[in-house]
Amino acid sequence: MTVEPVEQVAAARRRRKATDPALMVALALSVAFVLIAIVWPIVSMVGTSLTPEAFPIFQRYLTPPQGQVLINTVIMGVLVATVGSAIGFLFAYVQVRIPLPRLLKRFMHLMALLPIVSPPFALALAAIILFGRSGFITRDLLGMDFNIYGLQGLVLVMSLSFFPVAYISLSGLMRALDPALDEAATNLGASRWRTFRTVTLPLLLPGIASGFLLLFVEALADLGNPIVLGGNFQVLASRLYLAIIGQYDVLAGAVLGILLLVPSLIVYFVHRYYAERASVVSVTGKPSGRPAELTHRPMAIILTCMAMAISLLVLLMYGTIVFGAFTNLVGVDNTLTLKNFEFVLFGYGLEAVSDTVLLAGIATPLAGLLGVVIAFLVIRGRFLGRGALDFGAMLGVAVPGTVFGIGYLLTFNTPTEIGGFTIFPKLTGGAGLLGGAVAIVLVFIVRSVPGGLRSGASALQQIDPTIEEASVSLGADQATTFRRVVLPLIRPAFLTGLIYSFARSMTAISAIIFLTTPQTRIMTQQILNETNAARFGNALAYCVILIVIVCAAIGMLYLVIGSSTRTGRAADPTEPAVSVPSS
Amino acid sequence: MTEPAVVQLERLTKRFQSPEGGGVLAVDDVSLELAGGSFVTLLGPSGCGKTTTLRMIAGFETPTTGRILVDAADVSRRTPDKRQMGMVFQSYALFPHLTVFENVAYGLRLRRRSGSDLRKAVERTLELVNLVGLGQRRPSELSGGQQQRVALARAMAIEPRVLLFDEPLSNLDAKLRVSLRAEIRRIQQQLGITSVYVTHDQSEAMALSDVVVVMKDGRVEQAGAPDEVYRRPTTRFVADFIGRANFIDAEVIAPGDGAADVSVLGQRMRIPAAAGLQAGSRATVVVRPESIRLGSGDLRAKVRRSIFLGPLVEYELDLGESVVLAVDPDWMGHGLHEAGEEVACALSPEQAYALPPGGSDELVPKDPEAAALAES
Repeated sequence: MTVEPVEQVAAARRRRKATDPALMVALALSVAFVLIAIVWPIVSMVGTSLTPEAFPIFQRYLTPPQGQVLINTVIMGVLVATVGSAIGFLFAYVQVRIPLPRLLKRFMHLMALLPIVSPPFALALAAIILFGRSGFITRDLLGMDFNIYGLQGLVLVMSLSFFPVAYISLSGLMRALDPALDEAATNLGASRWRTFRTVTLPLLLPGIASGFLLLFVEALADLGNPIVLGGNFQVLASRLYLAIIGQYDVLAGAVLGILLLVPSLIVYFVHRYYAERASVVSVTGKPSGRPAELTHRPMAIILTCMAMAISLLVLLMYGTIVFGAFTNLVGVDNTLTLKNFEFVLFGYGLEAVSDTVLLAGIATPLAGLLGVVIAFLVIRGRFLGRGALDFGAMLGVAVPGTVFGIGYLLTFNTPTEIGGFTIFPKLTGGAGLLGGAVAIVLVFIVRSVPGGLRSGASALQQIDPTIEEASVSLGADQATTFRRVVLPLIRPAFLTGLIYSFARSMTAISAIIFLTTPQTRIMTQQILNETNAARFGNALAYCVILIVIVCAAIGMLYLVIGSSTRTGRAADPTEPAVSVPSS
Repeated sequence: MTEPAVVQLERLTKRFQSPEGGGVLAVDDVSLELAGGSFVTLLGPSGCGKTTTLRMIAGFETPTTGRILVDAADVSRRTPDKRQMGMVFQSYALFPHLTVFENVAYGLRLRRRSGSDLRKAVERTLELVNLVGLGQRRPSELSGGQQQRVALARAMAIEPRVLLFDEPLSNLDAKLRVSLRAEIRRIQQQLGITSVYVTHDQSEAMALSDVVVVMKDGRVEQAGAPDEVYRRPTTRFVADFIGRANFIDAEVIAPGDGAADVSVLGQRMRIPAAAGLQAGSRATVVVRPESIRLGSGDLRAKVRRSIFLGPLVEYELDLGESVVLAVDPDWMGHGLHEAGEEVACALSPEQAYALPPGGSDELVPKDPEAAALAES
């Protein structure tokens, strides 16, 4: 439209120059955070891997036979992204376009959200119990000799774990699609299938592509599932784990980190491109009325049955997790017992539970606040390098967690000294600051800030800057305006950021697996240890406790912050938690 | 060009099931006959059933009872893609992923047109709506008015039997609305396509239509030529919805055929009248503000308020037993009147219209929520 440039100029004019002291402090803190906690570790890892000694290692992993690891990684990423996107699309379509009883929709929606609040490889454990060599379904029920370990198991479990990301972004897009578009196509003579093929699908394509790429990045970065379920099928993430934990080979770790980092970054930024284009959908006119419903009954029934089958599978797997947590050795000795929970809650595991909750609890408000502050700076501030600040902060999701793990090891394992003065203490390892807890909290924050940043930014974009100008004209300074006007207005987005941060910190594994110390036990790390030692009961009990804690925390956050939200948005506390990284 | 289609609506009724189990009667026994090539407007407040009626003609809603005939063939059960009707949507519903050219070509490609034949047909249509040279743009690169033209071109390109418009100008600013409605009328007359147009804007309806159908609560209140509906509104609702009207209480002295002797404002007048008036009973006389002449006459009025609008001046006049609104387009001839001034005025009996008293006199539907549900 011809008026647009004028509006853009006006919007740009409304940006604040960073001359207000509070704004200056916020800006300085944000930049320091991005540089120290995000950029520095990545640069350290890149620097380490670009030394002459690293060259032969690159050569080893880029040629056969070790090059197979890279190929495996790509195959797994593509398959998981394809299957996950397809399931996400199916769930979104059934949810938005098929008329079903509310209870049924609610159930499928909940099943789609469960994987978000659970630890990364909870589903992998359930898959082993149900479909493994001595699996309840494969061996006991079907008498099959099925091998869950390897690509097939990884694709199954990772697709089910990651599809919610695609589901939530696609269902949002489908709801935003003007139903008159479908009607216009039908009115011009297009059949149902033709309408779907030439109108609905092309309009959703950027959204599908963006979801696909995001799933690809997630699959690449996932560490827990390949360790637990990979078997002989080695991918970069599991190879990297072996290099660091098994062989203490930091150099090989750094090289593998680079191999992981480069494709992830490329794909992530292609995803950002598509995600921005996905919003083109609503450019013309405003949507009128509810989304068109699928009136073709046989098709509706088939799609519903497929989505229900997957929902029931997810339910079965979580049921297995809960059941397994209460048995001696699920599948072998199904005697009910409480000893697993005794171990986790009153025995050895208690420390891990309290440490994890404490560290995640410290990281959550810091990450939430930092995310909103950076969002405010990026959207409303006027200073050089706004884009760079946004980019830097978003690296927290674009870069695989393991890369941060190695980066932190390389950067903060020794104190940084200049001229004999320690300007930055040792953070990692048992001898690090507070037993390494500072490093873990930092990584939690790094990984969580993008969620708060994106939800905060989109909320800020919807608020007319004149509201803030009104506050300033009445005599409030920037800090007061932010506290009294902006923060209350974007409270739902702030809440989303907090929920996202807590869920993400509690379930993090890839980023902190190299950073845990005997003084800082983390639950996900303990789950991995118990799994590797084949003590499934304990591992599953940890999973159940973790899920309960995350859900309880979401409920509490929602009660404390959400109840006083007058705008009444964010009706589903868990919903926005995942829509965030995809936007 | 084939003969324009004749569309008949026969006792059309649509009942929506509300989620609570109740039903909302959105369209209630509507019968209409649309002459071939005519431009018919469905006019009414929101919730009156006009959009539902249009969507039933298009095929997006199935009538609960009743039939829709196009050239005597029943199309009520035909799916929308088989009806050969072009529709212009309120939100335009342009395909944002396709260029202007491809938007217009969409329906033609479905009719197996291709190559230079297709290109020529699209270009001809774009020419008709004054969009030559914009074929390669995306909808998002066009102004609102241009998007509207593309929507019109896309609907016309398939050479539809019937053109349907669902409040197509409501998203545009006032000036553009006026110029585009003239263009819609020009194109429709040029092509002679039978058209149904939904709006709640009475001036739009009058400017465009051969026939205005005023609807209320799912029923047709009155159907007729715009001047007919304006001059001879059959109900108080129609009189009030179309233009502005004074309703003056009167007593019927002698009813007659098409006119009646009534006593109004203390004078005996012979006034054109609707049927159903009885001697000795009350009547409501509809008087348009421009039918009250100022400056001379037997009536004495006191100016309560005057509003200067440029081309005309609006007066609130106290006539003793009633207060009326009058507009004076000739204020330059005889000057302005201040509030408090006494003026002489007259009522032209031939420009008034007498109705039976009472009847539907509410502008707002009884249950606005149910009405909105029916409309959506």
